[in-house]
Amino acid sequence: MSGLRMNEIVHSFGDVTVLNGVNFHVQPGEVHALLGMNGAGKSTLMNILAGVLQPTRGTIAIDGKTHTFFSPKDAKRAGIGHVVQEVDAALFPALSVYENVLAEHIVAQKQPLFSKTKQRSFVTQLLARVGLEHLSLDAPVQTCTLHEKQLILLARVLSSSARYIILDEPTASLSDEETNRLFAMIEQLKTQGVAFIYISHKLHEIKRICDRMTILRDGTVVYEGDVSLATEDIVRHMVGRRADVRQKHRREISGEPLFQVKQLYIPKTKTTVDLTVRRGEIVGIAGLVGAGKTELAESMIAHVKTTGERIVRGKKQAWSSPKDAIEAGVCFIPEERRKQGLFMNETVEKNLTVRLLSNIAPWQWIDKRRERTIATSLISSLHIRPSSPTALAKNLSGGNQQKVVIGKWLQTNGDVFIFDEPTKGIDVHAKEEVFAIIRSLADEGKGIIYFTSECQELLHIADTIYVMVDGRFIKRVKAYETTYEQLVHDMSGGE
Amino acid sequence: MKFLYKYGTIVAIVVVIAFFSATLDSFFTYANFSDILRSISIVTLVAIGITFSLIVDGFDLSVGSTASLATIASASALVLHRQELFVALIIPLLLGVLVGLCNAFLTIQLRLPDLLATLAVMYIVNGVQLTYTKGFSIYNDMPLPEGGVAPGKFIPSFLFIGQGELFGIPFSVLLMLIIVVCAHLFLTYTKAGRMFYMTGENREAARLTGIPVNRYRAYAYMISGAFAALGGIVLASRIGTGQVSAGAPLLMDAVAAAFIGFSVFGAGKPNVIGTLLGSIFIGVLLNGLTMMNVPYYAQDIVKGAILIFALALSHIAKK
Repeated sequence: MSGLRMNEIVHSFGDVTVLNGVNFHVQPGEVHALLGMNGAGKSTLMNILAGVLQPTRGTIAIDGKTHTFFSPKDAKRAGIGHVVQEVDAALFPALSVYENVLAEHIVAQKQPLFSKTKQRSFVTQLLARVGLEHLSLDAPVQTCTLHEKQLILLARVLSSSARYIILDEPTASLSDEETNRLFAMIEQLKTQGVAFIYISHKLHEIKRICDRMTILRDGTVVYEGDVSLATEDIVRHMVGRRADVRQKHRREISGEPLFQVKQLYIPKTKTTVDLTVRRGEIVGIAGLVGAGKTELAESMIAHVKTTGERIVRGKKQAWSSPKDAIEAGVCFIPEERRKQGLFMNETVEKNLTVRLLSNIAPWQWIDKRRERTIATSLISSLHIRPSSPTALAKNLSGGNQQKVVIGKWLQTNGDVFIFDEPTKGIDVHAKEEVFAIIRSLADEGKGIIYFTSECQELLHIADTIYVMVDGRFIKRVKAYETTYEQLVHDMSGGE
Repeated sequence: MKFLYKYGTIVAIVVVIAFFSATLDSFFTYANFSDILRSISIVTLVAIGITFSLIVDGFDLSVGSTASLATIASASALVLHRQELFVALIIPLLLGVLVGLCNAFLTIQLRLPDLLATLAVMYIVNGVQLTYTKGFSIYNDMPLPEGGVAPGKFIPSFLFIGQGELFGIPFSVLLMLIIVVCAHLFLTYTKAGRMFYMTGENREAARLTGIPVNRYRAYAYMISGAFAALGGIVLASRIGTGQVSAGAPLLMDAVAAAFIGFSVFGAGKPNVIGTLLGSIFIGVLLNGLTMMNVPYYAQDIVKGAILIFALALSHIAKK
C-alpha cells in the first residue's frame, strides 16, 4: 500500500460532526486537489493531517505504516509539510532568508553548534530546488515578495524532507506570471517524488496542475478521481442538490444613483474598479477569499490611501479618512467585527450611541437619559440579547455583536451601507435577522453594497451582483438572471 | 476574589492607615494628614495627565521632567525676570503643552513607539532645564553670575498655591479636588471624554466610526504635558525654590497611581477617581514608611513593588 491514506476519518467539535468517515488517498508524486465549499471540512481534514487536530476516529497511514500524530512535530517527522495560506504568520520577518529556511531544521537538530558553511550550502541547494537561486541568503524576509515568501516556506518544508506537501490556496494573491512559475516548480518537484495536496477554489488552475481530485461536501467525500470532469459537474458535486436556493423575486430598481466610484484604485491588488449603487438597490459583490473584497471596501470609505473618484448623490467627494465618508452618509460595517467594529470592553449602550453623540450631547454634555432611551429602542427593535444596555459587548454572541455593529448606524442619517461579510461566524437565525435589517434599509431607499464569498446569500438578498476575481469585476448580472452554480463557476475565475 | 479586585485598593488604604496609626503615635494627626494631602496633590495632578495618555492607549514618560521644567520656568519668571503671577503660571503651562505637542508629533506623525519616544523627550526636557539653569537652583536673593542678586522673588500670591490654606484646608488640596472632579465629569459625561475612551479602547474601530483618533491622541499628550506642568508649578510654590530636577521622582509615583486606579471599583480602565485613590495609597504608604525611619532610597524598592502589583492587577482587569 504505497502513498498516503487517511481512513474513515471522523471529527466532531462538540455535537457538530465536521468530518463523517472521510477516506482520502494521495499517491506519491501526484498533485491531488482537495475541493469543497466553505464549511465542507477541508481545513479540518488538513489540520488533522498536519497534526494540529486529533481525529475523533480514523487512522492515517503512510506507505502502509500507521501513524498517530499528537502534534505538528509528529506529522513533520512522518513527512507531511504544510505551506499555510497566510505565509507571513509562519515567517520571521526581520530574520534572513537563510535563517527562515532553516528555522525548523535548527529547532529539530540535537547538537548545539553547527557549521555555518555546511548549512549555507544546504540552504543554497534548497533554494535552487524551489527556483530561488537569485535570492541572497542574507536578505531579510520582509524585503521579499509574497511569492518569494511562499517559496521560502516551501524550501523550509523541503528541508525536513517532506514527501506530502499541503498547499493551501497558494495562488490566492499571486499574479499570473508568479502562478506559472509556482506551477513549474510543482511539476519539477513531482518528478523528485514529492506529492502535493492542492487546495483551491480556482477550478481552471486545478485542471491545469492537478492529477486527481477529491471533492468534500458536508464532511463526506462525494467524488474521487480524475480532474477531467466537466466544470459544471465539479460545481454540482461541490454544491450538491440544494432545495433551499431561493431565487430572489425580481425588483425593479429605478432610483437615482446614490453612490458611485470611478476608477477607484485598490492598492493591494493594483487594480481599479467602477461601481454604482442606486437608491433602494442591494448590490452584491461576490468573490473568493483573496479576491480583494475587503481591500475594495476599505478603499471605498478612504480607510486606506487610494486614488479615484467617489460620487455621492451626484457630487464629487474628496475624502481623506472614514470620517469624511461617514459625514457624506456612507457607513461601513467591517468584516472583523471584534477588531474593527466594536469597543469590546464598553457597554452595548456606548457602542450603539457612539455615532449619535452629537444628538444626545448637543453642548458636549451627554444626556444619559436620552442615551438610554435610544439604546433601549435599538436593542428592542434589533432583538439584541441580552437586552441589557449595560452588558459588555465582549459578552455577547457573534450574531448579537453584529447587530450592535449595524445598530450604531441605523439612526444616523447614513444613505449608503457597505457590509463586508456581515454573516461571517453568526448562526442561521441571526443571519435571517441581518438580512431582514438589510432589506428594510433598502426599502427605506438606502443603497446597500454587500461583500461576501457566500453566493447563496447574494442570490437571496442582492438585486445586482458583481463578480470579483483578483481585484477586478469580471461580470455584472441581475440576481434573478443567474444561478448558484453559475456564480460559483464565475467566482472560481471560470473560463 | 471579585470583591478583592473591586474594593482591594480601598481596603489596602484602610489597612495601611490602620497599621500606621496603631504603630506610630504621630501618624494619625491633623498636621500629618494635611502634610500627606499636600504631597499627594502634586502627584495626583501629574498622574491625571498620565491617566489621559493611558486612556487613549498611549504612555507619557516625560511628565517628571516636564514638571521639573515647569518648576524652573515659574521660578525663573518670578526670581530672575520679576514677572507677575499670571506670567509665572502661563509660561510653564505653555511649555507643558509644547512638550505634549512634541510627544504627539513623535508618536502620531512619526509613529515611534510611545514608551521610547517619551523616554527620549524625557531626557531632552531634563537636559533643557539643566542647561538653562546650568545645574543651579533658583531661589530668592540668589547671586547672579554677572554680579548682584536676583531682582525678583517668589511673590506671596504664587506661594499661596502650595503653602496657603482656605477654610483650614491646604489650597493645593482644594485645587487637586476641584480638578479631579472636573476631569472625572469631563471624562464620563461629555462627548469629548467618550471619544478619548473610544480612541484608546479600539483605535481602528474608532477611526472606522468617524472619530478623529489622531486628534484625540494629540489632545491627550497635550493635556498630559499641561497637568505635569501644573504639578511642577504647585511643587515650586510648595518648596519656594526652583530646584533642578525636582519633578523627577514624581514620574514613578504618578505612573503607579494611575495603574492602581485601573482596578478601583473594578473599572478595568484608566479613570481619574481611581488615580486619586492610587495616589492617596502611595502617599500614605510613603509617609508612614518615612516616619518609621525607612530611608528614602529603600522606598524606591517599595514603589517598584507597588507598580508591579498594580500592573498585575490591571492585567487581570483586561482579561
